[in-house]
Amino acid sequence: MKNLTLRDLSKVYFNPDAGTHVTALSEVSLEVKQGEFVSILGPSGCGKTTILNLVAGFIPATSGEILVDGRAVTGPGRDRGVVFQSFALFPWKTVLDNVAFGPKMRGIDKTKRERIAREYLALAGLAHAADRYPHELSGGMQQRVGVVRALANEPDVLLMDEPFASVDAQTRMTLQEELTRIWQARRPTVLFITHDVNEAVFLANRVVVLSKGRVLADIDVAVPRPRTWDALNEDAAFKTLTSQALQLVRSA
Amino acid sequence: MTALLKAWSLYARAVARWPALHAFVPFIPLVTLWAIVAEVEIFPRAFFPGPMEVVQAFASLVYKGILPDYLEDSVARLVVGAAAGMALGIPLGILIGVSPRVHALVWPILLFFQAIGDIAWLPLLIIWFGFGLATMTFVIVYTVLFPVVLNTVLGVRSVPIELHRAALSLGASRARILWEVVLPGALPNILTGLRNGLGYGWRALIAAEIIVGTSGIGFLMFDARRAGSVVEIVLGMIVLGLLWYAVDGLVLTPIERATGERWGMVTR
Repeated sequence: MKNLTLRDLSKVYFNPDAGTHVTALSEVSLEVKQGEFVSILGPSGCGKTTILNLVAGFIPATSGEILVDGRAVTGPGRDRGVVFQSFALFPWKTVLDNVAFGPKMRGIDKTKRERIAREYLALAGLAHAADRYPHELSGGMQQRVGVVRALANEPDVLLMDEPFASVDAQTRMTLQEELTRIWQARRPTVLFITHDVNEAVFLANRVVVLSKGRVLADIDVAVPRPRTWDALNEDAAFKTLTSQALQLVRSA
Repeated sequence: MTALLKAWSLYARAVARWPALHAFVPFIPLVTLWAIVAEVEIFPRAFFPGPMEVVQAFASLVYKGILPDYLEDSVARLVVGAAAGMALGIPLGILIGVSPRVHALVWPILLFFQAIGDIAWLPLLIIWFGFGLATMTFVIVYTVLFPVVLNTVLGVRSVPIELHRAALSLGASRARILWEVVLPGALPNILTGLRNGLGYGWRALIAAEIIVGTSGIGFLMFDARRAGSVVEIVLGMIVLGLLWYAVDGLVLTPIERATGERWGMVTR
């Protein structure tokens, strides 16, 4: 896993109906170190999804640059794994084949890539679901597959776009705890997009608060790990950080 | 009322046990009605034969070998035409679906020719190719092509952009995405196109056989008209229906079950 640098990144959209330009992102600079977990927090329309789409290479930047381990991003690539809010699993592939997809694209032979996929499925407690199709799984399980599918391809950076926004509250808390556990075990570099203050603080080493396309604050999260909701709900430092972040987001 | 409900629940349970039942039980009242109308001779028997006469005609034509030969001819034409229609239509549909430029250039032409029905081509085709296989093949390919192309385009365009992005981020090349994402994503729609195409193609084939044929089910029916044999015309109509029933049950439905429905992309 490698580091990620955003330098003076701007994105201006053209609205052809109104004939106007909309600035989604304005000269954002950000450094995510190797093995660091950074949450981008902000309300709807603050530009956080734009950041993810730019880093993923799905859309071109208007100006500025993105570097992954020193190399400039020019388009989507396997060095940046993406976890989508909509899961984006391939409905026609089994869970195993979904997770083995990245290794397959790398040309790894069937036996080996299936071994890799099973190993990662076990990491998320999904070994029993390997032969099922995505639509046969609950939303929470589908997103577990989404996470390990990205991880199994061993990306330098893991990009997560509000991945738990469409699952129910209880499942979300379980998934967040699992993600911190997996992060501690594998130490991927993570850029995590969310509008949920508690989630942002719970998961990250650093919370970057975004407002109107600019960085409003960059907060260090000095809360010990392993983190669980039961422990952190009582934790004074966690409470202070979340209320601080909440104030920033509400003022944004 | 209760008796009806009881009978229905009996039927529902029987069908659950022997699924084949629901393929022919609905036809029992229909055939019975037909038999009664024929039997009381509301119409002259020669104009309105009963089921048994049709069965006899069936036996006789099978015995003479005419029906199997003609059936084989018709089905072979349909299969060849459908295969050619798909071989042309699926790649063309994918090309139009993935490329806005090709779409802009080809779509208007496609819509234009779609409106010129298969039969409308026959006068021209007869002058060009005469009464024969080339004319019939053209008509079937033409008929199968449009539903396949139009539905393939629809299918390609209905693949969510997230799936493209997911595949790109997992390291897939554009070519691999075509095979791994676009084609399976469009498959349920392609099958709908195939289903429509085969249905239209089958009808077009019979029409073509009636006009230009020298063999086949359509020719059999038209030949029977010349001989004034209503019973053979009716037999031909029944064969058409049965054959479609077989294509649906033995080919189309199993493919749909194994793909779109299995993947949860199509709800039954």
